[in-house]
Amino acid sequence: MNLARSWSILRKDLRIGPRSPVVLWALIVPVVLTVLIRGVFGDLFADQPSLGIADEGSSTIVAAADHLDGVDVRVLPTAEDVEVEVADGRLDAGLVLPAGFDDAVRAGERPPLGLWLSGESLPVDRSVLTVAVLDLVRQVAGDEVRASVEIVEVGEAGLPIDLRLLPLLVLYAVAIPGGMVPASSLVEEKEHGTLQAVLTSPASVGDVLLAKGTFGVLLGMIAGLVTLTLNDAFGVAPLAVVLAVALGAVMMAELGLMLGAWSRDTNTLFAAWKAVGIVIFLPAVFFLWPDLPTWPAYLMPAYYFLQPAYAVGVEGAGLADVAVELAIGFGICLLLLPPVIAVGRWLQVRLAAGRLPAGEDAQPEPSTTTG
Amino acid sequence: MASALHAERLRFVYGDRVAVDGVSFAIAPGEVLGLLGPNGAGKSTTIKLLIGLLRPQAGSIEILGMAMPQQRTAIQSRIGVVFEEKNLYPTLSGRENLAFFARLFGLHDVDLDHLLERVGLATRGRDRVSDYSKGMRQRLTVARALLNRPDVLFLDEPTDGLDPVSARSIRTLIREEADRGVAVLLTTHDMYEADELSDRVAFIDEGRILALEAPEQLKLRHGQRAIRVRYREDHEVKEATVPLDEAAGDQLQALLGREYLLTIHTEEATLEDVFVELAGRRLE
Repeated sequence: MNLARSWSILRKDLRIGPRSPVVLWALIVPVVLTVLIRGVFGDLFADQPSLGIADEGSSTIVAAADHLDGVDVRVLPTAEDVEVEVADGRLDAGLVLPAGFDDAVRAGERPPLGLWLSGESLPVDRSVLTVAVLDLVRQVAGDEVRASVEIVEVGEAGLPIDLRLLPLLVLYAVAIPGGMVPASSLVEEKEHGTLQAVLTSPASVGDVLLAKGTFGVLLGMIAGLVTLTLNDAFGVAPLAVVLAVALGAVMMAELGLMLGAWSRDTNTLFAAWKAVGIVIFLPAVFFLWPDLPTWPAYLMPAYYFLQPAYAVGVEGAGLADVAVELAIGFGICLLLLPPVIAVGRWLQVRLAAGRLPAGEDAQPEPSTTTG
Repeated sequence: MASALHAERLRFVYGDRVAVDGVSFAIAPGEVLGLLGPNGAGKSTTIKLLIGLLRPQAGSIEILGMAMPQQRTAIQSRIGVVFEEKNLYPTLSGRENLAFFARLFGLHDVDLDHLLERVGLATRGRDRVSDYSKGMRQRLTVARALLNRPDVLFLDEPTDGLDPVSARSIRTLIREEADRGVAVLLTTHDMYEADELSDRVAFIDEGRILALEAPEQLKLRHGQRAIRVRYREDHEVKEATVPLDEAAGDQLQALLGREYLLTIHTEEATLEDVFVELAGRRLE
């Protein structure tokens, strides 16, 4: 394998990429789907956590809350209004300030404070809002928080549908550009006979596979990270999300190379992709319907990059929380390497035997008796 | 003179179909060897074996003193190949195609403009290949084969289906390269092209070489020379062909004595005739 020659092939693919309908389709569809899903089900233009406040007295917290950065604050007339809005998922959290709350705090008492949290709110938003509320109370009391905060979860438990669809979107964004693009690029080279021209130069099958695989990893990462960015799903550990997407892109590129090397033509590739696609995309089902038993997802390779990305980006987990899944994902990438190398060798043997020829030139010559 | 290419008893079978069966030949530097045969005779397979795309099931190949496929990479850096199909990247320009392949050869100082000029594409180098005509694409594949100033050129049907002007320009290039000392293996089913370009011709059919000689020698050995006479008799135009053998004198004398002689032509055997005699069927 020669890195300079692989780099030459990769440069050529990068140059051809923007002119290829397959590449454009692979990169644009996740973005379009994100906008559609968030437009229909989600809060496309409201990415700040929302807090409703009902003041039963005349607390200074209301005025202070109005100046909170990064929180969308709404003042509501009654505690019932707050509860209804939170329960219906229109607010992430609601705060009810009883009459005389400020005085009680200043007098050193620990008055009760009701904080309603929507069952559909993001864990990361809940954390932000809880800290913000405690900070508001601290401003009234001085350094020490002199309130007993009672957190009540109301409304239907579980994440909203746009967030439950996110794993499917991310999977699509990583799998199609990361896997399908290198596979179809390889098949196209076989069909057009350009692979033969490349292999007649000093370049080897290994050089070609390395270049196509790198191309897939780059595209898969770009599409995956763009999708996560559009969905504001990097959580508190962006590095862990990037790592998970990178592992996913490598995994998909390896799969794509195997399918591309094996497939004789585009039709075969699409048929194979459909069959393998069931295994690739199945883990997304368990995020979409979290009540399903999740153990079958553990058997799917894609789970081990999807789960860490989801846990960190949506559920607010940290790098340490997903280290095991990431390690397993890394292991799967390593395990897939020998099959990729084996399929590459198989392709070389098939080409040398005239069994996997490309284009018209590739067909075994017609019977010599028919001329 | 040491041969630039030496193939010995090559054999290759696709499934249960024998494509190349005991083919042996050598090409000297500066020599053009035409491999002539009908479609499916084994020409393209022979080339694929020689350039390392297929691995022979028997026999040996030595190119520029190196063994194929054992020293494939070293050999491939010194050969040029024109495929029958126009396997270029259609969304890249002609220049970009050449630049890409130059990089694969590790060449960074190739004068692409000069190369494009040599194949008559100087003004179209920056156009996408998808906008090229068939002839232009073929000329570009010839330019690609010449990128590394090869010592051995393999040309698989380089003028197939081209207009006469494009075909002529490619033949000129082939001759120029041979004059530079390049060994050329040319496969074609066009007997006129083979006759014009080749120093020697090998007839191949059903994977076997039937004859290998200079075109003139083949024609002399296997063809029949004759004189064709057209004359008018009883208000009709008639034609007679007189073989140039021992008995030709009397017949010719009789024909020349006629009053209304219209035309007299010598008729030499063609490579097609030779092939028919050797293979028992026509080239196409």
